[in-house]
Amino acid sequence: MTTTIPIGPFHPVLEEPEYITLEVDGETVIGANFDLGRVHRGMELLAQEKTYDQDIFLVERICGICSASHSWAASLAIEDIVGCEVPARARYLRTIVHELERLHSHMLWVGLAGHIIGYWTVFMWGWKYREPILDALEAITGNRQHYAWYRPGGVRRDVPDEIWPNVLKIIEEFDRKTDMLTGAILDDPVILGRLRGVGILTKEDAIAYGTLGPTARGSGFDVDIRRDEPYGAYSEVDWDVIVQDGCDCLAVAVVRLLEMKESVKIIRQCIEKLPGGPIDAEVREVPRGEGCGHVEAPRGESFHFIRSNGTNMPERHKMRAPTFNNIPSFRPRIKGETISDALLIFAVIDPCYSCTERLAIVGPSGEKLATSKDLLRLSHEKTEELRKNS
Amino acid sequence: MREWSKEVVERLKAKFGDRVDIVERSGRRAYVTVGNDDWIPVTRYMYEEEKGRLCTASGSDRTTGVELLYHFAVDRDGSVVNVRTTLAKPFPRVESLAPYYPAADFIEREIFDFLGVEFVGHPDPRKILSSHDRPADFHPMRRDE
Repeated sequence: MTTTIPIGPFHPVLEEPEYITLEVDGETVIGANFDLGRVHRGMELLAQEKTYDQDIFLVERICGICSASHSWAASLAIEDIVGCEVPARARYLRTIVHELERLHSHMLWVGLAGHIIGYWTVFMWGWKYREPILDALEAITGNRQHYAWYRPGGVRRDVPDEIWPNVLKIIEEFDRKTDMLTGAILDDPVILGRLRGVGILTKEDAIAYGTLGPTARGSGFDVDIRRDEPYGAYSEVDWDVIVQDGCDCLAVAVVRLLEMKESVKIIRQCIEKLPGGPIDAEVREVPRGEGCGHVEAPRGESFHFIRSNGTNMPERHKMRAPTFNNIPSFRPRIKGETISDALLIFAVIDPCYSCTERLAIVGPSGEKLATSKDLLRLSHEKTEELRKNS
Repeated sequence: MREWSKEVVERLKAKFGDRVDIVERSGRRAYVTVGNDDWIPVTRYMYEEEKGRLCTASGSDRTTGVELLYHFAVDRDGSVVNVRTTLAKPFPRVESLAPYYPAADFIEREIFDFLGVEFVGHPDPRKILSSHDRPADFHPMRRDE
């Protein structure tokens, strides 16, 4: 006899609005159904009422984690219509921010995977090592998320050369920590026990379901837009596409862990080779036409299609995030697995959600009323108070 | 960056002849317009023979009817081949690609949801993103009077 188990409408681990119903026979899952759309914001319709410059800010807000990817893909689609050549310095600056985004996104996933399997040390370590990457992004773009960095034709701002030594220092330190974490994860029998052989997605299924990014590459489906249709500076630096044939959750985790090493390699080379010159091709008008742009976001390909009717607003702007293609692959993965592994298997595609919270108390004239030290002190005082009252 | 080989475009021309109208764009993009009857033969050919990867599909309501545009990435070539057909309003319907290519499942449901295109033969023809209490005959991206 089959039973239906509802999970949601809020994801119990990821605090994300999704509704999955599992059909189970005893402990074994035999089918799954999805009910999406709880955070649907009508962005495609909204994009038709905004100018191209405003559109870039809009698509950045599709997701807090992939904000560089969406704005780059939309810029590529506009550049495809205009047919302009992006200056070399802009291509390198775009690539650096894009790869830093991949680093923090993958590290976020590593932490969440630890959280889901109940391995809190991995969660604490992963998120601790992710933090300096956000600092580097803040140093370069001015923001931890939503960088407002990309614009059709180039980037919005130039950066002084003095910041690069610090960024290099951060990624070298990150590289060492990633080595240590990768070694610790792949050496831990408990983690391997939870991941190995769980949630098999065959290569045939990965292709048929149109999966993308680490989800596809963990199943031996060798697809990476950075290599297949090189954009930015990817064809000018030395790096490898990581592909694993394990087809299970472990293979996807290994792809993400090893990809971080490749991203560090790319950033290091981009900073070393960073050319001078202009940062913007200064696109003034978008002629009538159609254009597609796609980039390899941390979770897979982000695809944007724009049709222009010659005005300053797009007639149609289709945007597709990688998770839309990856979610259906949960069905073949989950069949025959137990209920206890369902959440982990669902999280292996890294379903997308944005969450960045940070506290800064700012006075009326802009001065900071509390520094990080003050906040730490406040936190300690509160803990003491809680202890006294308990 | 290597040259765009355009082999796929040549093969499409050779196989379908006058039934396809192909426009090439400099940025490694091709736009292929087909009639409603050739929709499934051409899209299936793109997936099964050319190993094109369905990135996504864009549906839009234009003056001539509801337009479907399926974006196939040909990764070995670094190009995107877009296959287009226009369906007559007010009741646009076309055969579904999803039975042959599961990657089309979700996106065809989305186009049904927002534009009211009926995909004949779709394994799970339900709404996907809009809320359950939305009237069944209201499609937010239609531009009907």
